[in-house]
Amino acid sequence: MPHLKPILLVEDNLNDVELTLAALEQSQLANEVVVVRDGAEALDYLYRRGPHESRNTSDPAVVLLDLKLPKVDGLEVLQTVKGDPDLRHTPVVMLTSSREETDLLRSYELGVNAFVVKPVGFREFFDAIQDLGVFWAIINEPAPRTGQTGY
Amino acid sequence: MTTRPDTLLDAVDACAREPIHIPGSIQPNGLLLGIRRADLAVIYATANVASAFNLAEGSVLGSDLRALLPGLAHLAETLGVVSEETGARHLGPVTVATGEGQRTFDAVLSGGQDLAILELEDAPAGLTVAEFHPALRSFIAGLQGASTVGLLCQLAADDIRRMTAFDRVLVYRFDSDWHGMVVGESRNDVLPSCLDLHFPASDIPAQARALYRRNRLRLIADANYTPIPIETHETAPLDLSDSVLRSVSPVHLEYMRNMGTMASMSISIMRDGELWGLVSCHSVAPRKVSLSVRNACDFLTQIFSLQLEAREKSAHAERRMRLRGVQTRLLAHMASEDFFINGLVNNPAELLDLAGATGAAVLSGHHVWLRGDTPCEAEVRALYTWLAQENSDDVFATDSLAAVYPAALSFADKASGLLSISISKIHASYVMWFRPEVVETVQWAGDPRQKDSPDGNGATRLNPRHSFEAWKEIVRGHCVAWNAAEIEAVTELRHTLVGIVLRRAEELAALSDELTRSNKELEAFSYSVSHDLRAPFRHIVGYSELLKKQEGASLSERGRRYVDTIIESAFTAGTLVDHLLSFSQMGRTALNPRRVPTRELVEEVRERLLLEIGDRAIVWTIGDLPVVQADAMMIRLVVENLLSNAVKYTRRRDVAQIAVGCERQDDEWVFFVRDNGVGFDMQYVGKLFGVFQRLHRMEDFEGTGIGLANVRRIVERHGGRTWAEGAIDQGATVFFSLPVLEGAA
Repeated sequence: MPHLKPILLVEDNLNDVELTLAALEQSQLANEVVVVRDGAEALDYLYRRGPHESRNTSDPAVVLLDLKLPKVDGLEVLQTVKGDPDLRHTPVVMLTSSREETDLLRSYELGVNAFVVKPVGFREFFDAIQDLGVFWAIINEPAPRTGQTGY
Repeated sequence: MTTRPDTLLDAVDACAREPIHIPGSIQPNGLLLGIRRADLAVIYATANVASAFNLAEGSVLGSDLRALLPGLAHLAETLGVVSEETGARHLGPVTVATGEGQRTFDAVLSGGQDLAILELEDAPAGLTVAEFHPALRSFIAGLQGASTVGLLCQLAADDIRRMTAFDRVLVYRFDSDWHGMVVGESRNDVLPSCLDLHFPASDIPAQARALYRRNRLRLIADANYTPIPIETHETAPLDLSDSVLRSVSPVHLEYMRNMGTMASMSISIMRDGELWGLVSCHSVAPRKVSLSVRNACDFLTQIFSLQLEAREKSAHAERRMRLRGVQTRLLAHMASEDFFINGLVNNPAELLDLAGATGAAVLSGHHVWLRGDTPCEAEVRALYTWLAQENSDDVFATDSLAAVYPAALSFADKASGLLSISISKIHASYVMWFRPEVVETVQWAGDPRQKDSPDGNGATRLNPRHSFEAWKEIVRGHCVAWNAAEIEAVTELRHTLVGIVLRRAEELAALSDELTRSNKELEAFSYSVSHDLRAPFRHIVGYSELLKKQEGASLSERGRRYVDTIIESAFTAGTLVDHLLSFSQMGRTALNPRRVPTRELVEEVRERLLLEIGDRAIVWTIGDLPVVQADAMMIRLVVENLLSNAVKYTRRRDVAQIAVGCERQDDEWVFFVRDNGVGFDMQYVGKLFGVFQRLHRMEDFEGTGIGLANVRRIVERHGGRTWAEGAIDQGATVFFSLPVLEGAA
């Protein structure tokens, strides 16, 4: 259990934070969910700066990143993460209200791992969040210790 | 035209090249002296000078004028009054002692920088200038009363004949090709009438016309005269351009003898410095006309030409005024129309009147409007193509279209004449006016094609005509010529139209800027809607679900229904936002056309639908479907929408029937999707494709009303159309078309 990596949720809207946490709770993941409220804080967390300077947790299993964020927006965070050789293997899932194609294209250009348009229906939203959490936090766990290279 | 043999062309050329200003001789009714200005030495003299003044042979050339002819010594001081610019000057009568006693001459002085020419012409007894005065006065009074140009010419001919006693006086007018036509005549019964006869340009060659411009009056008193040679020790021949006694070409004298006219006189009619015509006088017998009378005739002719000019200008101004009125009315019509061209084509009477035409065509883009009597549309289009390629002028006028555009022969009865203006070459905008053929009989004074006859040596020499006997030529393919006022009127109309077109272009550019801006705003708006409007709906749904889940047990049945309704409504609102955004995206996203096999597409969509609808009896009839050129994703949306509609609206049928087909109509594919479902009332067919327009109640058939709006938008973006047919409970057929593109089938 102590080895489980946290999930980093970057979301400015408190309602979305609550609904997303409710969805992740239902999937019964053991991972800690760290919530930061804007892009600048997300980078501070990832780079262990400012309030997160002394965090001793490992890097997140997955970053659930809202697209529209105060200060530094989601695309900028994505660009920084995917441009950094130390961080770029961290999976980033873009979560957005927007169905704008330009946002989607830009995200994939920047190397996003998944792009999820938050569905209006709660059940669909739940399903989406649970799937994401399970996939990235559990299934996608790399298996370096076994020494096996194939499946 | 008849092709003339080269030898004749050579002869005509030779005639045109004859240096008639330096004939080296004069007519015999006078004397000529060429005096060097520097020392007043006589360096040219006619052969008759020595005998006339009883001087020793060989004593004339080289002598000082004052010593040689003391009687003329006083003239030496006046030599300076003339130059090449002033032309000849009449010095009045001089009386000098000659071998035959005192003789009176009319002295005329002309000359250039180094040389003065003194001509002494025999002064026949006759009228003096004073005696002409009443004649001139009555002539001027008569001119003012003459109501037409024809009468004016008649009057001038009458008065000149009265003053000169020639048998026939003609007023002769040149056309633009220098062919002449007799427009006024006064005669007795001695010589035949020439009125309305045409004379070819070669009758008066170019160098003769040049002399007529310079020296307005010429008299040949006797066609059988023996020329008096000019003697000189100089090498250069004497230039007699301004001379009054100049000897004329032997060809011309032969021409006169052939015509039976022993004496002739011509006076140039000048307008704006150009030769407009001639007053041409003929007499059967030799006839001397004193210099005074000739000057009076010249004076009269110049007054006549001024009068003529005034008449023509006022006639032009009158025509112009009238056409301005027409033009103003046309402009008013254009101003009152949304599309200015309608102002022209909806007022054909004025459109035609502006150019005095019988037919008109207006071309703009792909449209052609024909008004009045015109060639057919295909002929007008072909003519336009020719004009656009061959003619870069803004205004084009011809009174013989077939001469430059032979295809016009086939519609000569409608358009032998063309007057056209180009408004915009880029948008292919032209206005054309047409005039029909007017078959004209031109009476040539003798066959203009035959002037040659071989001489005794077998060579062709130019042989002047033997008669003025009329030779009739039927001229075809011509219309009444467009007059200057008409050409000016359409030119002004062109300026106005070009102005309108330019203004439209500016307005369009401004509109396009405006559109770009509002498109940007719309994009920003929909971006914001997609983020900010969607989120609250999601939250309402989300929290309501949580509420139901966590507190559902403690809610009453009614309370749970309320929560369900909240969820359903917020979900619907959220879906509406999604659909609205997709619709707006459909209009903005760039098309990515490629080959789409529609048969496969329909099959795919149908199979996916079948998964969703489960256990229903549906009979599908899918016909032959083509490969089209379209954006694959968008066209899939169209098919999905139409097929799911058909499935949806047939769900109350025991056996649903859905047919998909396509047939080619001209240059488009027309697709249809037909069902035997609930159909619709044709009364509302106009609403079918509108955004959020629904023809059914929500509880009957779910939907947001965006589907067919999307279909229409996508199809229209592909250059196609959408429409539908149906009746309540009789099923519906939705049609859409796509253009057939080259290489796509």
